Amino acid sequence: MEKHDIVIVGAGPSALAAAVYTTREDMDTVLFDKGVIGGLAAVTDWVDNYPGFSKGISGLDLAGELQAQAERFGADIRFGEVTGIDDAGDHRIVRTTEGDIQAKAVLIATGSDYKKIGVPGEKEFYGRGVHYCATCDGAFYRDKNLVVVGGGNSAVQEGLFLTRFTKHIDLLVRSTVKASEVLQHDLEKAVQEGKITVHLETVTEEIVGEDGKVTKVIASQKGEKKEFKTDGVFVFVGLLPNTGFLEGTGVELDEFGFVKSDEGLMTSVNGVFVSGDVRSGATMQIASAVGEGATAALKMREFVEGRVATYAG
Amino acid sequence: MSKKVTVYTTNTCAYCVMVKKYLTSKGQTYEEVNLDEKPELRQEIISLSGQMTVPVTVVTDSDHEEKQPEVTVGWNPGKLAAAIAS
Repeated sequence: MEKHDIVIVGAGPSALAAAVYTTREDMDTVLFDKGVIGGLAAVTDWVDNYPGFSKGISGLDLAGELQAQAERFGADIRFGEVTGIDDAGDHRIVRTTEGDIQAKAVLIATGSDYKKIGVPGEKEFYGRGVHYCATCDGAFYRDKNLVVVGGGNSAVQEGLFLTRFTKHIDLLVRSTVKASEVLQHDLEKAVQEGKITVHLETVTEEIVGEDGKVTKVIASQKGEKKEFKTDGVFVFVGLLPNTGFLEGTGVELDEFGFVKSDEGLMTSVNGVFVSGDVRSGATMQIASAVGEGATAALKMREFVEGRVATYAG
Repeated sequence: MSKKVTVYTTNTCAYCVMVKKYLTSKGQTYEEVNLDEKPELRQEIISLSGQMTVPVTVVTDSDHEEKQPEVTVGWNPGKLAAAIAS
């Protein structure tokens, strides 16, 4: 069995930040990710609130820089899926689709994934009119009309990104727009320019199509049925933690499925730590995820050196 | 058996970067078709893949071009590995 000092599950900003720290401490570090390196940050159009980039930076470029930095110090980033983690006393066993690996300490930094609305038509038209990634699929809607569902930062930011392609966007917001002030200001500008129409208190109920293509969204606004003709739907209604693989491992989750930890970022399984969006109490910001990744790395070093006891949650 | 690989991408697509890095790491050459530069090819991609998304990776057996190409939609290293295997 392969043996490493640290195995990190995930390769998003929190994981990569942790890897920078662990590898600089000469701790042999392997990361596993089944998705995109850089996580949700990599598929975000533009990041304006990550400190150090006065003019902002594209999510793709930020992810690229984080990866390059981690690899510069020797982080080994692999494609693969972790299927379980066992505590074997003086070490951990990480089960992956590429084989089992022994590690002194493990970091869970799997982040989160896009939530679905959960309405009829959403699954049926996935990839053929229903999308969750504007930077991936926005280009297919040049000069078309779109519905964007959501009212938070992602919905507004990605909706604004999509206006570079579209003729018009209807933004369906369940209650009120909860995006940051800066984004709301940019949204107001797009509304005044006729690029976006915001529909508040509008609950998406069904996505309808014909001949394999999305044609409209049915919603209700204050009890009244409304139809929005559209060529496609982009969904940004929140995030779900990636913790399915932890079933049966003993890692405790909170009521929402996020990983619980003590003050030292250790989970309920000895030697298994957590950082970033997947952690219970996380603030879902790249900056905090990176900070937690660095903290977790230092805590893992203490653990490996025998200076930390067990879960104190 | 040599493979001809074409990857359809856009400038902002992170999964496209993953596919390209993966192919390079496996020593597989590929042609990149950027749909931001060639938007007229969007319909071709939709017909090929049945979906409106990138990346789309098309692998053709150079020695048997009459065979149906292997089309992979999105970032799927398992499927890509099988497609480019000799």
